[in-house]
Amino acid sequence: MTDRPAISTQQLTKHYGEVRAVVDLDLEVEAGEIFGFLGPNGAGKTTTIRAIMDEIRPTSGSASILGLDTHTDSVEIRRHIGYIPGDLAMYPNLTGRDTLTYFANLRDGVDWTFVDTLAERLEADLSKKVGDLSTGNRQKVGIIQAFMNRPDVLIMDEPSSGLDPLVQRTFQDMMKEATADGAAVFLSSHTLSEVQRAADRVGIIREGHLIAVEGVQELRSKAIRRVDLYFEEPIEASVLEAVRGARDVEVRNHHASLSFDGHMDELLAAATAQNRLRDISSQEADLEEIFLTYYRAEV
Amino acid sequence: MALTLTNVFTKTARDRWKSTVIGAVTLALLLLFGMAVYRDVDVAFWDQMPEAIRTMFGIPEGADVGGLAYGAIYSGYGALTMAAIALAAGAVAIAGEEKNGTLGLLLGNPVSRTRVVLSKAASMVLVTGVGFAILWIAAIASPVILDVDIGSMHIEALMLMMFVNALFYGFLALALSAWTGRTGIAIGATSGVLVVGFVATGLLPMFESLADLARAFPWYYFSASDPKFGGMDWGHFAVLAGGTLAFAGLAVVGVNRRDLRGQSEGRKLIDRLRDNTVTARLAELLAGRARVSRIWVKSASDHQGLLYVIVPVLFFMSLLIGPMYNMLDETMASLADQFPENMLALFGGGDLATPEGFYQIEMFGLMIPIGIITATVVVATAALAGEEKRNTMGLLLANPVSRSTIVLQKTVTMVLYGVIVGVGSFLGVAAGSILGGLGMDLGNVAATTALATLLGLAFGGLALALGAATGSTAIAAYGSTGLAVITFIANGFLSINESFDAWTRISPFHYYLGSDPLLEGMDWVHAGILAGLAVLGVAASVWLFGRRDLRTRG
Repeated sequence: MTDRPAISTQQLTKHYGEVRAVVDLDLEVEAGEIFGFLGPNGAGKTTTIRAIMDEIRPTSGSASILGLDTHTDSVEIRRHIGYIPGDLAMYPNLTGRDTLTYFANLRDGVDWTFVDTLAERLEADLSKKVGDLSTGNRQKVGIIQAFMNRPDVLIMDEPSSGLDPLVQRTFQDMMKEATADGAAVFLSSHTLSEVQRAADRVGIIREGHLIAVEGVQELRSKAIRRVDLYFEEPIEASVLEAVRGARDVEVRNHHASLSFDGHMDELLAAATAQNRLRDISSQEADLEEIFLTYYRAEV
Repeated sequence: MALTLTNVFTKTARDRWKSTVIGAVTLALLLLFGMAVYRDVDVAFWDQMPEAIRTMFGIPEGADVGGLAYGAIYSGYGALTMAAIALAAGAVAIAGEEKNGTLGLLLGNPVSRTRVVLSKAASMVLVTGVGFAILWIAAIASPVILDVDIGSMHIEALMLMMFVNALFYGFLALALSAWTGRTGIAIGATSGVLVVGFVATGLLPMFESLADLARAFPWYYFSASDPKFGGMDWGHFAVLAGGTLAFAGLAVVGVNRRDLRGQSEGRKLIDRLRDNTVTARLAELLAGRARVSRIWVKSASDHQGLLYVIVPVLFFMSLLIGPMYNMLDETMASLADQFPENMLALFGGGDLATPEGFYQIEMFGLMIPIGIITATVVVATAALAGEEKRNTMGLLLANPVSRSTIVLQKTVTMVLYGVIVGVGSFLGVAAGSILGGLGMDLGNVAATTALATLLGLAFGGLALALGAATGSTAIAAYGSTGLAVITFIANGFLSINESFDAWTRISPFHYYLGSDPLLEGMDWVHAGILAGLAVLGVAASVWLFGRRDLRTRG
């Protein structure tokens, strides 16, 4: 089972009447990787996940998990997966622990020591009724529910919504530990920074089409940098715009900012030719910028 | 601000108009249908009916054929149905939005709570008014279409009294909804007042010494004056209208004085037991691990409140009927001998002169099937469509259970609930018979409650299948109960007229009391047909649910 891709879709297509929610989607997620599934709202991320989960049936094409067909072998598949749906809802009249017990019983039991460890790490209160929890605390119960059976494949639709930054970091650690143990993580998000921090590879979906799949490192190696330059005197934008690889130059008095994928020495030469440079900061562009730069015209 | 209020008003009206219009149109068609049936039968026997039964159905002596149809369809079922629809609208007006978590959002706009309540109340009046406009048109059109002479019938008075009667219950539910923020309390308490009042105003006049007690029940002020023949009784109208206005005032006060509820279910007794160290273990056993051990156990635990209401009500009512039979007016029994048999079919059949007949009219004819069908339909509706509506089905199905397992486990809950209500009813009737020394055959009583349970499961199976096919709780609940109401009434009416009698076979109710099980014992063929319908519903559910996309919320 393990030599098969963790998740694979073949020409997966879902139409809702005239609306083509997902079109000919081919992707593979391997064991041991975190696959970020990235796209704006309404791009088809949730539809893809629901089709993989057999909640909805593809108009055409198919999907498999661990080599098993997501429709015909759906029950067997679910022994091996953890899932957090988007817009997570649970039973408001049950406590967190009751909720986990309910699902654990459907899985013939789980390791409760592990569950307690997860709860401790996420600082989740399992004694309160789910209906009394805040969105973030409810999400924690959902996360524990997905991780508690040590799944081979984790499928999560916008799992970080409502989590504070510290818990998000713990959650990312948990995903990385799971992949270190050989699990595959399919992480859908519109939050680019989240995917950027956690994922090994990223698939970008837009209007139902998968327009790119690349490693996060390769994406970054497209080497767009966000550069901020601070000068002693006001500077003209044209000075910087002339440099090869400079884009979106914005100048406000002493401060210039731009996207840059050229040679840094050329930029510095131009910047210091007639002006005194006081400070410079340069950082890797985030995926959004890469996305906008390279994929804007796709589809 | 005016725009916001108009929005609350129109949105509420838009949400609620469907059920009212469907209810009104159904009643209108039933009136037409009822009149057509009556037109062809000799209805002189109505005059020999005991006063109380006629009062219960609003039919005075000497009524002509039109009066009978108006009496049975409009004053009886019609008034009940329209009151129930208004009640449902009132109950969700405030509490429903709180449950959905949308009330806070609504109140985030520059609009006061008072105005939200009043807008909702106004839209309820409008929607109910539209329903009555439909009934009114049908009331005038039906006799013309069928060429029936309705004499000097006060249709306007009947409509106005039915209208204010419906609003009375709608606003009572609204007030409770506004005070408590809980739809369950609003629906439960208001329907209690409605049903108990309806039964009591029919039953109490049978006993001379108790007749005056009927005035304590709101239904009296609708039915006692018999507006379609007596015209408007403005005193009674004022009681109902005054009550309606008072409830509106209470709703405004209620919603302003308390904290809005979140989506939390609130703290129940079991939560308090859990917090106490002494009772924690017991509570854990009752409410904690035990109730989530299996899918069917959890869904059984989710609806237990329903049983706490239905079972005691049916048990004690059934129990009281026994001793009551002995108190029954002598003249009633002798009058009852003259009852044309087919006429009694209207109330589920039954002969007042025998204990079996009395039980059939008072309990088996209407109350017990209502109780069992309510239990099975509520469980079946929540089973699939309810989980989809709450968006929990996806999470449940992420576990290694097949869709058919979920359907079958939830079916176990439905069967369990039907059986519990059936057993509760049986025990009540058996105890009542023993207490009153009526000597009814308990085997026959058991057979009849078993048939009632199977009937409930047949409609529960339908609700399950509708939910499986559509994922819509509204379609599952209204579709199955709507069909239950229609087939119940059709069964009663069709059996009046001999030329239509064979058609009663299309109604599941025919297979419930059609064989006179209280006297004749179990009819296994009928039991088999009802069980077959239930199995068909469940099998269809498995098939349908396995084949479609799950719905998302909204």
